[in-house]
Amino acid sequence: MAERIGVYVCKCGPNIGDKIDVDVIVNDVNSIKNVATAKSHNLLCSEDGIKFLKSEIEKEKLSRVVIAACTPKMYEQKFMKACEEAGLNPYLMQMTNIREQCAWVTPDKTAATEKARSFVIAAINRVLLQEPIEKKEIDIQPDVLVVGGGVAGMEATLTLAQKGRKVYLVDKSPCIGGLGARFEEVYQTMECAPCMLAPEMQDILQKENIETLTHSEIEDVVGSYGNFSVKIRKKARYVSEEACIGCGACFEPCPVEISNEFDEGLSKRKAIYLPFAGALPNVPVIDKDNCKKLKGEECNACEQACPFGAINFGDEDKIIEKQVGAIILATGSMLFDPKSIPTLGYGKFDNVLTGLQLERLNASNGPTSGKILLKNGKEPKSIAFIYCVGRKEKGYCSGVCCMYSVKLAHLLRDKLPDVKIYNFYTDLCLPKKEHQRLYNEAVDKGAKFIRSDGTENVTRVGKNLVVQYKTDSTKKKVSVDMVVLASAVEPDESTEKIAKLLDIPLDEQGFFSEEHVLMKPFGTPLEGVFIAGSCQGPKDIADAVAQGGAAAGRILSKLIPGEKLELEPKVAEIDEDLCSGCSTCITLCPYSATHRDEEKKIAVVDDALCRGCGTCVAACPTGAARAKHFTKEQIFAEIKGVAK
Amino acid sequence: MKDDKLTIVSFLCNWCSYEGADKAGNARLNYPANVRVVRVMCSGRVDPEFVIQAFKEGASGVLILGCHPGDCHYKKGNYKTLRRIYLLKRTLEGFGIEPERVRLDWVAAGEGERFAKVANEMVKTIEKLGPLELSEV
Ligand code: FES
Repeated sequence: MAERIGVYVCKCGPNIGDKIDVDVIVNDVNSIKNVATAKSHNLLCSEDGIKFLKSEIEKEKLSRVVIAACTPKMYEQKFMKACEEAGLNPYLMQMTNIREQCAWVTPDKTAATEKARSFVIAAINRVLLQEPIEKKEIDIQPDVLVVGGGVAGMEATLTLAQKGRKVYLVDKSPCIGGLGARFEEVYQTMECAPCMLAPEMQDILQKENIETLTHSEIEDVVGSYGNFSVKIRKKARYVSEEACIGCGACFEPCPVEISNEFDEGLSKRKAIYLPFAGALPNVPVIDKDNCKKLKGEECNACEQACPFGAINFGDEDKIIEKQVGAIILATGSMLFDPKSIPTLGYGKFDNVLTGLQLERLNASNGPTSGKILLKNGKEPKSIAFIYCVGRKEKGYCSGVCCMYSVKLAHLLRDKLPDVKIYNFYTDLCLPKKEHQRLYNEAVDKGAKFIRSDGTENVTRVGKNLVVQYKTDSTKKKVSVDMVVLASAVEPDESTEKIAKLLDIPLDEQGFFSEEHVLMKPFGTPLEGVFIAGSCQGPKDIADAVAQGGAAAGRILSKLIPGEKLELEPKVAEIDEDLCSGCSTCITLCPYSATHRDEEKKIAVVDDALCRGCGTCVAACPTGAARAKHFTKEQIFAEIKGVAK
Repeated sequence: MKDDKLTIVSFLCNWCSYEGADKAGNARLNYPANVRVVRVMCSGRVDPEFVIQAFKEGASGVLILGCHPGDCHYKKGNYKTLRRIYLLKRTLEGFGIEPERVRLDWVAAGEGERFAKVANEMVKTIEKLGPLELSEV
């Protein structure tokens, strides 16, 4: 049966109607072969216009439709739906943009009309070669993997679990809670962080549909949105999570003492340890690199001390495989190491600390039980904060260091009413509605803020630390007992490895890059993999929580148990007969969506992974790769129309 | 008449450059009507054959616009195009076609001004070169 094309040119009120001679176009194309009808309409996107379009498709028995109107970015979906409702496969409709890319940029009406005509003819040429595409749907796995149990990961986990989803929460550390759990009080409410987080952590550990895997790391991920298969390495803990009740009887007898990384090296821990008091799950872990027994020496002190037989030196790493539909990465961040700026004296002089070290000193579950003490056990009388440590080196403002320093200044004044506090800053970043107030209050409490040029230098003179700084072009110095460095926030060390594993990109700063910086800040370019919290960029708790909730919400709204997932219809396909098996497409695909069928010696496209960019199609030397809806023939037909 | 038409076929990637061209329209910027558009999903879809075909069909210049390096919606399509078009230009030169008739550039979704600027520049370049006489090659 002969093709019947309907061509509809929208006037968009005066927007197109005044700039292009629509009637001329309609008249001209009416006589083109296969054009059954060509008409104009005053506003095709209106309710009336859609009704008109549908009735035309039915009445004129159209087999294809061309719509010349505004940019397809506006109403292509709407017109596709109208076609579908009128019984026409939506991929047999072609839109061409005669508003943004013609009427609005061409003041001369004759020229605009000619250009628009070429666009319409190109669309007619093209639409004749278009093929119906059927929706493809796949079954999905509704369970979700969350990597990282900080505030963002916890929020995501709980949001998903509340809706009944099974969630696997994986954290590389022996406990959950992330950085937040190591703070005593947090801005802007000055709330006690452990108290704030404890109920959430308890909830996570108790909910039946959450499986928490601490001391664990993801090792391999295959599959795609809806159906990922993940391998998780659950590292040997050497303490049975079932038998241990967390009494702590094992710590004391352990003869090994090493620096405790969870207290930023400010305290010692044993080889069998809990990261900090109150860490959850309340099950110690044996550090196999430092445990005498595990190094082959004679010792079983902890085993003897344990009243519940929970110690298991024979424990081994386990590889656990889980099937999930989506993955949320909430792997967090760490602080820039100020050792790389030698003039600040970090690592060289006692009592030069990072902000996080001061957080631990201030924490009641920290090395000094919350007392602010110098190395010699005395209280400091004066403290200098140096801001923006690492900003130049990292090339970005972390946006939270000013606030955590202001907060610490507050807390210090409360604990040590007479302490002198100097804040050396170059720029203050106080962006949120409560931040300015907190800063003002710190000033009211007597903290001094001194604008310097960022060239602070820390030296030791006798027992004192001396901070040299430059303000208003004059060099000055002040002698203090303690120096606190407000270090920049940088991606967690696991970020790069995970990015490689999942084949997702990092941004210039080394954080996970977003699917879209503004509109999809919780997505990644890999569908089904989401990001939340400071693994996407430095963030405070409130923002991390919001992003965790957003990522979970996105999953809840798209990955629904019992429902199928619609795949991108405009994917690539490979003609078996033409494929020479050269594998060019495999090396080029940004999503690893093509693989080699070793038996047939050809390339195969995985529909679930292909996003339809067409890079493989452009490179295929034999023409075996085709891009659905963007085939060479279709594009050639379009070129023919526009090039004239 | 054909001589002063000097059509330029522009392949615009769906995610950035096509939007950039839309923005030029929203801002009512002007550029000559002989700049014609073909939408592709990614600049990486642009097969050198498309360029040749455009010349065969009478175009005097071809513009290929994609997302800025690093911004491709499909991660790296634009880098692939960069290499491909570089090779293509060298080949064209061998056939006596001025490589300036093909321009690959980057226009972000918000860059309406930039789109108009690149379009206007391309028109100037092609006007200087004159129509492409393929039969002479
Ligand atoms: S999507 Fe714009 S260049 Fe790839």
